[in-house]
Amino acid sequence: MAHWLQILVLGLLLGGVYAMMASGLTLLFGVMRVVNLAHAAFILIASYMTYALFEGLTLDPMISLFVTMPLMFGLGVGLYLLLFPRLEESPRYVEMTVLLTFGLALIVEGLLTFTFTGTFRSVRPEYASTSIMIGDLFVPTSQLYASLISFALLILLWVFLRFTKTGTAIRATMQNRAAAQIVGVNVRRISALSFGLGMSLAGAAGSLLSFMFPFFPARHWQWIALLLALIVLGGMGSIKGAVIGALLLAVASAFVTDLVGPTWSPITFYLTLFLILMVRPQGLFGAKVRL
Amino acid sequence: MALLEVEDVVAGYGAGPDILTGLSVTIEEGTSYCIVGPNGAGKSTLLRAIAGFLKPRAGEVRLDGVLMNGSRPDQMLAAGICFVPQDASLFPMMTVRENLAMGGYLVNDRALLRQRMDMVYETFPILAERRGQNAGTLSGGEQQMVTLGRALMIEPRVVMIDEPSLGLAPMIADQIFEKIRGFGALGITVVLVEQNAVKGLENVDWGIVLDLGSKDFEGPADGILADPRIRELYLGKTMSKGMT
Repeated sequence: MAHWLQILVLGLLLGGVYAMMASGLTLLFGVMRVVNLAHAAFILIASYMTYALFEGLTLDPMISLFVTMPLMFGLGVGLYLLLFPRLEESPRYVEMTVLLTFGLALIVEGLLTFTFTGTFRSVRPEYASTSIMIGDLFVPTSQLYASLISFALLILLWVFLRFTKTGTAIRATMQNRAAAQIVGVNVRRISALSFGLGMSLAGAAGSLLSFMFPFFPARHWQWIALLLALIVLGGMGSIKGAVIGALLLAVASAFVTDLVGPTWSPITFYLTLFLILMVRPQGLFGAKVRL
Repeated sequence: MALLEVEDVVAGYGAGPDILTGLSVTIEEGTSYCIVGPNGAGKSTLLRAIAGFLKPRAGEVRLDGVLMNGSRPDQMLAAGICFVPQDASLFPMMTVRENLAMGGYLVNDRALLRQRMDMVYETFPILAERRGQNAGTLSGGEQQMVTLGRALMIEPRVVMIDEPSLGLAPMIADQIFEKIRGFGALGITVVLVEQNAVKGLENVDWGIVLDLGSKDFEGPADGILADPRIRELYLGKTMSKGMT
């Protein structure tokens, strides 16, 4: 019994971080109808920034969130304004944005390899290799911290979206972009802001992942595949769905790892995804959106 | 000075052909209008060009004599030009109350918004009953009332309504038209686009007939409806094409 609880807790801790990574991606899709294939590559940028700050200034990775989040926010707004408005008029918008973000992912990977080489890196603060016991439960400190920060950021995001005027405008744009324009929402401003927000969540994720897993520039392909599975499962554009999907899949994969072995863990994601999509093609919380 | 002047406007979508081919119309404060014409005449395109959703390729859109070409939709709305598109365009996962509140997005005075919301509930009592319900669960007629009520939240000077009766049962459509007629008393100038030309003209002061992207004819609505020659020439054509 305690053993199952242990697996559940480990799954939920990891799921918290996945949830934050996925909510940034699904937010972007919801507001802009862009599937950002470079999301995980941007996460890696933040991981490397955290790495550089740790190696150079011995800055704690959790403190470097205060650097990576605003920097990634600015990068997001800048990239949006530079690249996306000109595509919006195009009848091939979806195809173009897929190509664009795929290209961005390649560029980021190339730049990271050029700057940091292809070797494995990891950030090793003291808590990266410690763990604490809560009752009978064994909890790796790094995962506990990462998960707590992720949930805190998710709650902040929820409060922002639910209770502020700008947040309400973002939700409105996600539900119906045309209607948002009708009531006077400047959707271009909202898109830029959402891109920034999604990217700052990627920034936070990058800092947290840096001390949880070793990384190298091509690692993002693996992450983006996982993230796409999460947001499709939750329903594209639904943040609630992304969070629940992430927790569900992380727990499922933790149990599979325990029962059959870690080799089978990645496939759990895609198997669960297939099974759920067979019953609910729009995902757990997705509306049937048209692209 | 006219409230709204459209002069020699040319407009179209993307790289496509001109839908409006040099169209001029004048909207006077306090008069209500219905724009009629066959499919593809440019009725909706005209509204979109005025509301800032479509940039005119040539010509001028003037509000109180001030050139407005190239303004964004939110800027046009702030200037008092409200557009209600034809596909009951609301926020399906927000409640009726939240949808109405979004109508006042550009207004920052909370007390004023509360007052206006009460006024909307007075105008559309059914919305008061449904206020806590998600807008996506309402019937077509009720959704249309939400979009009209939402337009009132900004207290626009002009409200341009595209096909208010589209997809509604005749009895429900009559109710909607009755509400729209009431907008005049609130000091709002109404511009309708209606496929059902007779129905549209019965509910306004002035009719404007478009064909092939420019104005064919305009005159008092009752005059158009009463004149069998005009009726056959314009409305007959409109009706028969509208039926196909």
